[in-house]
Amino acid sequence: MTSLAGLSCPGCGSSNIVDDDLYSQAQLVCADCGFVVSEGVLADEPVRGLDISYSRTTAVTKRPCVNLIRGLERVKEISRILRLRGEVEDLALTYFKQAYEHESFIRVSLQRKEVLAGCCVLVSCRQLNWPITVGTVGCLLNADPTLVGGVYQEMLKVLNVEAPTVNITDVIEAHCQEYKISSSDVPEEFAEESKDLTKRAVALVELAADSWIVTGRRPLPIMMAAVYLAWQSLKPLKHRLSFSLDKFCQLAKVQKHKPAVTRITELKEALCKLGKEIPWVGESVTPGNVVQQVGDILEHRYALLRRALRTHEDAMQAECRSSSVNPPSEEMVSSQISERVAQTASSVEQLPLSNEGGKQAVEEHSQEFEPNWGKRVLFAPPCVSHAKRRRVEQPTPDVTGDEEISDSEIDSYIRSPREVREFSQTQKILASSSGGKSQ
Amino acid sequence: MDELALERYFDDSIANDSGFTLEEEHEPISTVQQSSVLSGKPGARVKPSEELDFSFLPDELSSQDEPSGRTAAAAALDGSQDSGVSAEDNLQDSSAAEPQQDVSSLGLGRGTSPFCPMTPMTPMTPMTPVTERSGIIPQLQNIVSTVTLGCPLDLKFIALQARNAEYNPKRFAAVIMRIREPRTTALIFSSGKMVCTGAKSEEQSRLAARKYARVVQKLGFPARFLEFKIQNMVASCDVCFPIRLEGLVLTHQQFSRRFSRSYEPELFPGLIYRMVKPRIVLLIFVSGKVVLTGAKERAEIYEAFENIYPILKGFRKQ
Repeated sequence: MTSLAGLSCPGCGSSNIVDDDLYSQAQLVCADCGFVVSEGVLADEPVRGLDISYSRTTAVTKRPCVNLIRGLERVKEISRILRLRGEVEDLALTYFKQAYEHESFIRVSLQRKEVLAGCCVLVSCRQLNWPITVGTVGCLLNADPTLVGGVYQEMLKVLNVEAPTVNITDVIEAHCQEYKISSSDVPEEFAEESKDLTKRAVALVELAADSWIVTGRRPLPIMMAAVYLAWQSLKPLKHRLSFSLDKFCQLAKVQKHKPAVTRITELKEALCKLGKEIPWVGESVTPGNVVQQVGDILEHRYALLRRALRTHEDAMQAECRSSSVNPPSEEMVSSQISERVAQTASSVEQLPLSNEGGKQAVEEHSQEFEPNWGKRVLFAPPCVSHAKRRRVEQPTPDVTGDEEISDSEIDSYIRSPREVREFSQTQKILASSSGGKSQ
Repeated sequence: MDELALERYFDDSIANDSGFTLEEEHEPISTVQQSSVLSGKPGARVKPSEELDFSFLPDELSSQDEPSGRTAAAAALDGSQDSGVSAEDNLQDSSAAEPQQDVSSLGLGRGTSPFCPMTPMTPMTPMTPVTERSGIIPQLQNIVSTVTLGCPLDLKFIALQARNAEYNPKRFAAVIMRIREPRTTALIFSSGKMVCTGAKSEEQSRLAARKYARVVQKLGFPARFLEFKIQNMVASCDVCFPIRLEGLVLTHQQFSRRFSRSYEPELFPGLIYRMVKPRIVLLIFVSGKVVLTGAKERAEIYEAFENIYPILKGFRKQ
């Protein structure tokens, strides 16, 4: 029998009401007079509302914040959509709990909390070698990638963790899965097995990386360009070649990324440079007809690269001989080329190329070949080969900081009294004419 | 006081940049500090990890050039040693010698006296030979400095009276003023504090700040030129070879601190490299262009670039 506080017997006014469980029906009975206070009181039990504030109850520890629970559910949901391993999901949940409590995230908008859930998944994927891109997370959350990026950076600071950089060749496989162009999704002439498509797309991405198309750029448009060209080149017949990127994306049911168009052009250019070296191709290789050669180019990539670099070196030397440039330029150019080879070699696994030429200290001379060293090498980052024309700044005369400042110069910055009058009058007129709208 | 005399007084205090003003404002402190600087400040041995902070010292010391110039010299001279300690040593050494001897040339790498126009900049030749000098000089692009004018200002009045001012209190609580030569912008606050940006060298920044102070003076405020301090310097240069950022972010893993390198191509095309000594942030791009920021002195920028250049070159050859 338990005694209930705060209740008084309607019969005698005693506060000694007890919970009588003797009978099958629980009753509240006054211990002094036997008055049955009964269920009417039970209905008033504090189930619907508390007299004490939420934060002071034990419910806080027993049942955490609703938004925290929702956030954790979102993390699980995202993990399931991405089909992540159990440990990735667990790590993401741990991070979310940790970050959520932090002052930077406890009082932000619900949208931001949702983005935080995605970012926790992102960082744990990266740390556990299951790379996904920020763009993918953005798509899943239906949020602006810039916002995701911002929350991601803040979260890294809050959690004090780091994540390794995503390698595009790791991500491309997962990316290829998104394209719905297997034989069950599209007509036969457009269909491609995911395995074949992925293999070719990976090779194209590696080529792009060697040709400086990838570094510094967002990975998603490059991957899209690679998949598109892979699909075209696996069956380079008219019906595929005539498909624009737009149509391809509609076919594969993916969202098109606008920069992918530029990437396709850049990738084709790089392919052309290699395609030109194929001995058995009679006609000249242009971006218009290179797609048909892609298969061969990729198969004999390294040999073609070696040939292309040698051709380029010969062309450079011929140019140097014909122009009146000083002798060091030849060796400078050739060692520049060997640097290029070494550079492309470094990113590719086993390239049996020795570094031709010595590694002389040519850097001191490199500035003589300004403005655009990018035009003198075979492969260069597009931002260098198509450099923006910068406004040439007039060099200002050197100053000591202690010069005399002429009065006339200072006066030129001060309004004459007449100007002041006119200006303030005009301001008043404008202020009144715009109907009291402040400037 | 007669207006002309007042104006002359104000003009003097800014144009001369001598201890004239300072002796008024800082008299009890400046002489003590000057002497303590000369004697090498035995009581203030800086821990190797700290930077020397000279902001408490008056900006214009009548008898010698800015002590920050000395730190710059010391930092450039001593690539391997900690700049804090060596700066102290150099201060002691040079104070023993002639303190006025071309200190500006020491500090700022010029071969001329402070009263001649500057010759084109060459970086300070380090006394300890560096194995491979790059031969590339980062060009300063922007200097941000602050100055205290020392009196409250009526921003509305300034915006009305000055031709080159804009003031929109709803957007920002300061007057934005611009001058043509040196091409700079200043933010002038009602408390009398001013920020000057856009100059391409420290001297230009100081000249520009003085011009802004003069304009404010001419408008009738008792403006002074106090606590001029360079807050940030931004420089850029080009190493003329492409850089594999995805590789660079991985190298030297065992030496790099957390967050010292960050490369997120989805968020920013460059690699963000936070150097510890000197404390500079470098933005490295695939084109080979490098942006250096966060410096308070020119020598920090040069030092940072000389530190990063071998890393970039070495990485290129792998």
